[in-house]
Amino acid sequence: MNYIWHILVMISIYAVLAASLNLVAGYTGLLSLCHAAFYGIGAYATTLLMMQMGLGFFPAMALAVPLTALLSLLIAIPSLRLRGDYFVLATLGFQIIVFSLLYNCVRLTRGPYGIPGIPIPSLFGVPVDTVFKYFLFSTTISTGALAILWLLIRSPFGRLLRAVRDDEVAAAALGKNVPAVKTMAFALGAGLAAIPGAMFAGYMRYIDPTSFTVGETIFILSAVVIGGAGSFWGPLVGSAFLVALPEALRLIQIPDAVAANLRQVTYGLLLVVLMRIRPRGIMGEYEFK
Amino acid sequence: MGEVALECRGLRKSFGGVHAVDGLDLSFESGTVTALVGPNGAGKTTLFHLICGALRCDNGDVLYRGRRINGLPPWATARLGIGRLFQDVRVFGSLTVLENLLVGFPDQEGEAPLVALLGRGRVSRREADHKVKALQWLGLVGLADRSSALAGSLSFGQQKLLAIARLLAGGADVLLLDEPTAGVHPTLVDRLLTVIRRLAGEGRTVILIEHNTSVVLGVADWVYFLDEGQVASFGLPAEVLADPSVRAAFAGLGGRRQ
Repeated sequence: MNYIWHILVMISIYAVLAASLNLVAGYTGLLSLCHAAFYGIGAYATTLLMMQMGLGFFPAMALAVPLTALLSLLIAIPSLRLRGDYFVLATLGFQIIVFSLLYNCVRLTRGPYGIPGIPIPSLFGVPVDTVFKYFLFSTTISTGALAILWLLIRSPFGRLLRAVRDDEVAAAALGKNVPAVKTMAFALGAGLAAIPGAMFAGYMRYIDPTSFTVGETIFILSAVVIGGAGSFWGPLVGSAFLVALPEALRLIQIPDAVAANLRQVTYGLLLVVLMRIRPRGIMGEYEFK
Repeated sequence: MGEVALECRGLRKSFGGVHAVDGLDLSFESGTVTALVGPNGAGKTTLFHLICGALRCDNGDVLYRGRRINGLPPWATARLGIGRLFQDVRVFGSLTVLENLLVGFPDQEGEAPLVALLGRGRVSRREADHKVKALQWLGLVGLADRSSALAGSLSFGQQKLLAIARLLAGGADVLLLDEPTAGVHPTLVDRLLTVIRRLAGEGRTVILIEHNTSVVLGVADWVYFLDEGQVASFGLPAEVLADPSVRAAFAGLGGRRQ
């Protein structure tokens, strides 16, 4: 049974990751390739605040969110002036820089050794110490984060994001400060990605930089694109699908060594096929140009 | 004579060696419709870019109600009340017709994420208020029954009407209309011209780029004929269009356009 709860915990983590990237990529049309960097910053910030400053899980997470949003401005402010492809490359560069900082700032992050022994989160003094409890814990947190996203998307702010995505020039001609709007969307997406970062650290109780690579960014982006960019439910469906898929493959009796490779092939094939037959994703609204 | 709403003084803009706008002095009064006519490359669209801030002028000034506005970015000139209809319309295709208008309203608190989250009651009251106004504007341009259609699914002419309604929702006081009737079905042209006249009647300043002589004669109070970035002539539509050199320019256009 723990196995099922484990998968559901992972889905709840990826649902928030994909949904927060969707705010940036799907709703605002900014194809960002550094989402795993914000996920990682959130995880490391929460961990370090808990272990070095002795904060509890929630205060640490509550600080990690604005901290990550603030750090995202380092890349947002210079690169949002760039157009299309150049922006994508700049975010990719940021992703690589953050990874190598996590990997090489050994004093702070212990680099490739990672940080073990992250304290068990507790809620009202009750430690969240079983997989089932963590499932309840993480589902509650992610429901909260998704509710915030839902309210944002349905508000005039969300409508403005879609307008900017459709036509920046027209939005500016209506008096909208487009660079400011994009920066806000980007920072919000980054800040919200810190939440699953904290959830992941609290769950695994060990983090190292290899969880926050470019590959991870691509995985999150795949969940958005496969589920359907620019739709609220799309990324949730996409992340459930991508997290559950390898487990489904596991049920078919194939040797582990083959299964691992087969998983990669399946992801790749799936993306190619889906983009051919349904470029807007399963629930999709918006097609990347 | 009404009050001068917008004025250009000695406006210049070159691209490489080409003087697209070469020392333009123009003024536009509130409550009037002014047409800018002239051959392709006369600098009409460039002039619009300079007024709204999409391009910076090399020299000269743009004054809005006596205030210098050159150097301001497009969103800032738009907030002052300078609205623009693009030649290629630029509606938000994946938004509904109603949403296109709702985006147009200025100073929306709900566009700030924190207010959107924390001040939901206030935001939704304002939204309801905007919806009522938006539907009125849509009624004015005859699109009220299409309010829930995606803007991208409208015909080109309907998209132009929508874009104009969106400007009005934004409270634009000076309207820069780049070829409002081009590519619009003749049945919609009349509706468009009625709207334009009505806007001027309400005291707004309408400046339009137009190639169709009958539209210019029908709707404009004043005409500037531009050629090679300069004012070649200015006056009442019938006078300016009677000028043989203007007629020659239009004959060339007419053959191609109609």
